[in-house]
Amino acid sequence: MADFKSSVGMTVTLISFGMMFATLFLGFFLFRFSAPVWPPVEIENLPKLIPFFSTLVMALSSYTYWRMEKGIETRKKFWLATTVLGIMFLVGQWTLWNALAASGIFISNGAVPSMVYAFTWIHAAHIVIGLVLLLWLGHLIFRKPQALTEVRLMNVGKFWHFLGVIWLIMYLMLFVL
Amino acid sequence: MFPHTDGVVPPDTYAMLFTMHGTIMIFFAITPILIGAFGNFCIPLMIGARDMIFPTLNMLSFWFSMASGIVLLASLCLPMGAAAGGWTSYPTLSTNIGQPGAGQTMWLISLFLFGISSTMGAVNYITTVITLRAPGMDYFKMPLTIWGIWLTAILNAIFVPVLGAGLLLLTFDRVFGTTFFLAGAAATSGRGDPVLFQHVFWIFGHPEVYILILPAWGITSDLLAFFSRKPAFGYKMTALSLTAITVLSTVVYGHHMYTTQMSPLLTQSFMTLTMLISIPSAIFFANWLGTLWKGSIRFASPMLFSLGVVFVFGLGGLTGLYLASTSIDLYLHDTYFVVGHFHYTMAASVLLGGFAGTYFWFPKMFGRMMDEKLAKLHFWCTMIPLNGIFTGMMIVGYAGMHRRLYNPFVYEFLHKLIPINQFITMSAIAMGFAQFIFLYNFFKTIFGKNIPQASANPWEVGTLEWEIPSPAPHYNFKEIPHVKCGPHEMGNPNLNNGRDFQYQTEELIKA
Repeated sequence: MADFKSSVGMTVTLISFGMMFATLFLGFFLFRFSAPVWPPVEIENLPKLIPFFSTLVMALSSYTYWRMEKGIETRKKFWLATTVLGIMFLVGQWTLWNALAASGIFISNGAVPSMVYAFTWIHAAHIVIGLVLLLWLGHLIFRKPQALTEVRLMNVGKFWHFLGVIWLIMYLMLFVL
Repeated sequence: MFPHTDGVVPPDTYAMLFTMHGTIMIFFAITPILIGAFGNFCIPLMIGARDMIFPTLNMLSFWFSMASGIVLLASLCLPMGAAAGGWTSYPTLSTNIGQPGAGQTMWLISLFLFGISSTMGAVNYITTVITLRAPGMDYFKMPLTIWGIWLTAILNAIFVPVLGAGLLLLTFDRVFGTTFFLAGAAATSGRGDPVLFQHVFWIFGHPEVYILILPAWGITSDLLAFFSRKPAFGYKMTALSLTAITVLSTVVYGHHMYTTQMSPLLTQSFMTLTMLISIPSAIFFANWLGTLWKGSIRFASPMLFSLGVVFVFGLGGLTGLYLASTSIDLYLHDTYFVVGHFHYTMAASVLLGGFAGTYFWFPKMFGRMMDEKLAKLHFWCTMIPLNGIFTGMMIVGYAGMHRRLYNPFVYEFLHKLIPINQFITMSAIAMGFAQFIFLYNFFKTIFGKNIPQASANPWEVGTLEWEIPSPAPHYNFKEIPHVKCGPHEMGNPNLNNGRDFQYQTEELIKA
């Protein structure tokens, strides 16, 4: 009971970050619905497979995080899985950016590449924060299990799942719809 | 300085001056003092806590704001100068085309860092007020100062990230060649929209102005009650009105954009909502007057400044109604009338409220009282010229003089306003010099010898911080207090212990 206080803080933080991403999505929707032709030429060349796999990776990492939270015996295994999947996601983003550059789509090429690059960069920066939090949890799991409280797992979990949801929305917006 | 213009400030330097003035005043004066200093000082003390809930986050917030300030001040040393796009930084002027050079980019980075600082602070304040209130302190027993600061933090948490996103996208436009806000010939390919920046900016910008004033409203509401020796009139309605304003502030931002060719349906909607937001403002203003009515007024310096807030906010708020009306605003937009309006509501009210708070809580912070005579002199020497400046501005604005113009007097019809402009300048110089009285008083009291020790409760009020010694000890409260009554239980005729007020930890005596 005494411990729920910090999750109020995490909830407020997620509202803040959510507003930032919401602003980016607002910009996207304004472009989308005021563009004379959609999809514009640039978007037809966007790689579709890489972000699809990235989405699967993020979804899987949310599942492994949930397993890590719930079980104590399998915790270390699922922590490793979640962290590895998180790193794989970043590697996937890196591959995506390279693939875009290889097909001639650079950030300065107009409105749509601007959005694709800028939004995925900003999301990736927050994934880095998430990974730092995961590494901190790993430190607690392996070295200081008594400091690994339920609330800390829950708070980092909120953040991690939030990043997954934001990615899902971004993926659908930029690459699917 | 300026040898090639005979010592007169050249046009681009003028643009830089008003940009930096706005930026520094909003982000490096009002925010750190009213929200940062008073928030961190008052919240734990007034809710009965030992500290804020996330001390490390708090410290990070402070150091991010320091870093932000250093970046901004450093930009003044750049060869092409600091940012000069106005504190509102509209593209296309704020893009690479309008402002080549690193000054504008450093401004964007500085404000982004500051946004991070604000967001961290907001998380801290919101969580502290929700979770660390002393037992017995319901939301409706909190002092109105806390209501003001808490609501400010809520707005900060929600809307500063919106600014952050906008700044980030503008930075990308400048540094990476994206075209979020560039259109037409300025865009290398694909079209952005400069007006999109205005939308994003003002979705943040309007709540921001309420962020800046809510703490001062809260402080004034409390102080008027304390120095009238009466409960705050309509305390609950005031708290609810402040909340209503917080909520409504999210949907009125378009009134900054009436001249951007938005559809009339939109402008009329924003106009209606803006006029609507004046209703809760009027309610708590009326409550201020109700608090004063038949009070036993003590004209100490915090009270003088609080009464000053009532006056300047009354004037400033009323002029807002003119600006809310789309048709009048089409004439008044970007004139000095707007400058007068927002300085009255934002600068004057917040400044006077900040001074009121400083004189009031100084003994709790430093264990001594500031010199009352100097404080009163400071008040009058500030108040009179302040009104000279901003009433003068509203007059010249009404006559059609525009803001942010290097030389308005290329327009013949403004020539007869030159004497008023000179009057404004003289008033500003006078008001500036008056602040030395405050500075002298402040530092003399802190560092002077033979200054008497202040008592625990020199103002004789009942909120929690006045039950502990002055200055407040590091741990605030030896034992966490148990709250039993509201913050303004004063003037009760049934009080029989020689005081005219009750501490919040005493059982409420029925009137």
